[in-house]
Amino acid sequence: MKRLSRPGEGEILLLTASRLLDGRIVWLGEGDHWHESIAEAVRFTYEEAGPALERALAEAEQKEVVAVYEVVARDTRPPEPVTTREAIRAHGPSVHPDFSYDHAPVREKEKVG
Amino acid sequence: MTQPASRSVGHYQYEERDRTFLQERINEFEGQVRRRLSGELSEEEFKPLRLMNGVYLQLHAYMLRVAIPYGVLDSRQLHRLADIAARYDRNYGHFTTRQNIQFNWIALKDVPTILRELAEVDMHAIQTSGNCIRNVTSDEFAGAAKDELMDPRIHAEIVRQWSTLHPEFTFLPRKFKIAISGSPEDRVAARFHDIGLLARPGENGPLFRLFVGGGLGRTPVVGQELFDSVKEEDLIATLEAVLRVYNAFGRRDNLYKARIKILVQTIGLEAFRKAVEEELARMDRAAYRLTSEHVAQIRARFALPDLKAPADAADVLEQHKKADPVFARWVASNTHPHQDEGHICAVISLKTPGAIPGDVTAEQMHGLADLSERHSFGEVRVTHLQNLVFGHVRKDQLHELWQGLKALGLAAPNVGLISDIVSCPGLDYCNLANARSLPLAQKLGARFGDADLQAEIGALSIHMSGCINACGHHHVGNIGLLGVDKRGAETYQILLGGDAGENAAIGGILGPSFAEDEAVDAVARIVEFYLGQRQKGETFAAMLKRCGLKAFKEVAYETV
Amino acid sequence: MKLFDLSGRKPLEAASPVPFAEWKETRQGTAISLAPDVEVEELRSHLGSLTLIVLEFPVFRDGRAFTQARSLREYEGYEGEIRASGHLLPDQAIHFRRCGFDSVVLPDGANVKDWEDQLGRYQFYYQNTAVSPV
Repeated sequence: MKRLSRPGEGEILLLTASRLLDGRIVWLGEGDHWHESIAEAVRFTYEEAGPALERALAEAEQKEVVAVYEVVARDTRPPEPVTTREAIRAHGPSVHPDFSYDHAPVREKEKVG
Repeated sequence: MTQPASRSVGHYQYEERDRTFLQERINEFEGQVRRRLSGELSEEEFKPLRLMNGVYLQLHAYMLRVAIPYGVLDSRQLHRLADIAARYDRNYGHFTTRQNIQFNWIALKDVPTILRELAEVDMHAIQTSGNCIRNVTSDEFAGAAKDELMDPRIHAEIVRQWSTLHPEFTFLPRKFKIAISGSPEDRVAARFHDIGLLARPGENGPLFRLFVGGGLGRTPVVGQELFDSVKEEDLIATLEAVLRVYNAFGRRDNLYKARIKILVQTIGLEAFRKAVEEELARMDRAAYRLTSEHVAQIRARFALPDLKAPADAADVLEQHKKADPVFARWVASNTHPHQDEGHICAVISLKTPGAIPGDVTAEQMHGLADLSERHSFGEVRVTHLQNLVFGHVRKDQLHELWQGLKALGLAAPNVGLISDIVSCPGLDYCNLANARSLPLAQKLGARFGDADLQAEIGALSIHMSGCINACGHHHVGNIGLLGVDKRGAETYQILLGGDAGENAAIGGILGPSFAEDEAVDAVARIVEFYLGQRQKGETFAAMLKRCGLKAFKEVAYETV
Repeated sequence: MKLFDLSGRKPLEAASPVPFAEWKETRQGTAISLAPDVEVEELRSHLGSLTLIVLEFPVFRDGRAFTQARSLREYEGYEGEIRASGHLLPDQAIHFRRCGFDSVVLPDGANVKDWEDQLGRYQFYYQNTAVSPV
């Protein structure tokens, strides 16, 4: 397995994935549930993240998620990803403010189709 | 929804077996989704299968890429794409540099239903991705342009059918793109495809000049001429032979060296040609002969437009231009000469300065479909520069079309000008990107949005890619921009001197990359330098040749 | 090992294949297996004594064996059995048959119905091949 990213000073790790059925971005929260809002994500230290990622990968099929990996974020409330890529995943495409996830954090309730 | 035209112009008219085939293909995909959900297929196994049906897992959702063979749509198809955008996406469709359309917010569970809705209008997503032969692209002015030698769409359709679920070439080392043009003006970038075909009429039927091993991406290569004159009856046999050599000998150990261009470079053009000729010599030629009967059958399924225009159509257009300078400006940049005196090709810019290149809303799609029925026999073409074309517009009705386009917000007079920016979706949507490309394209579009300024600058292309895969074709823009990740920060390299056409050239990298706003300023300084130093009528490419890259480099980095 | 008959052309061979390099030394038996990087021309002088050629798929995405099979039929005129073995998917069943394969070694836990369904899926194909004309 590829080496885990190491968080810097004031940073933590989050686990993220894409939901198999609709491809939406999810974050690993309490009780190993996957949530659409980054605010629900559990914060891991570098030491905790390894075993948590292994468990999440092992359960990915059963939880119907794909592409599970760790993301470095600043330890703020809510956590803020360090890279532009992950910030875009957390907040939505920068070119469409109307598609922002921050306005509608609970997308599970949204009518699909 | 508007009733479908009885006979669509410009693309192959499906027959019953084509429709049955699509249904069978959808059933197959539906079964694959079911097996994925039941765990019978792993993600590793499912991924190539879904890709071969145009389904990607992107940054925010699944993306569905729908094929528009040789770039030709009819109005009922465009209406249907609009319905899909509204129902399953967030009301947008995105036209790509390969004449396809992408939807960015698709759920996997909806895909079989979407495919059925597409199949109702004879559309599909077959082979729009994956390591197989991709959607065949062609000239956006095919069958209309004054400079055309022959209509390439008949043979494009023949190649499309031949490549569809080809049993031997569905698990190639890497993707394989074919383009075909019938004009001496290479409008398909034939030298930047795995195979590029330039068709022309010969004494005994069509002849095809075949380029092989061109491409952009990580290793940009200008394709080389493999054969000067492939006969029509040998077209399929020759494609078979090239693909056989590639499938057997293309590298499979390294993703970045797996395209045919690397194979051709490694063994050399002569050795590659020899290998292809050996295949041709051993092949059961009867089985692969393209007969004139078959060509005639396919040709018969293309309807031709009934081009009737009043004798004074051209005069009426001149009067309209005189009366309305804003219209005249649009005509100057957004039209192309037609074979018929009374008609003209109209290019609809999807690059309104400041907007996202290639993006169209569902309402705009419906509006365009309606306009196409009134003004272009219900036919709409997609260009590899992410614009649309109405191929056969009556000159006396062009003004009316323009007013309709204005009402849709699609009358930007900038085709071929500096704000007609080609751009990939970049990091805002794409899983592979290193940097955003759309915000930079928007800023550049806005910076040069003024119509007078653009007209003064004249023809100048900007191409923008968010990563080295080069979906925005940055290597072939007069000015190319490439997004680069520099220790977590998005920065942009500038390339100058690319050309996709007859004088194919790959742009040279100017120097170290810029931050986003710096890149906009640097481009502005480059353009200013061009305006100040060019000689009368000198193109950007010509001046670059005269002054050298170094002079432009000094200007670009002046205040940084 | 469970075999699946793709072509119904003739009874499937029961012989155990020997890797081609080994077989060349001993010439024992009539069944060989072939890695995807071997050019089938190398077999030319041996084809008369072979009744089974097993083509290997290290991973289902590696499509070289499709060209090997078609070449054996179209170029070399080989009429014995051609079998696919390794990482295979039922989604490839038609491609196997149309390139000249007669059989596959079913992967462990394979669902035979998936293979059968796939073989009967399409009523026609768009392209001629020398092995299976339209």
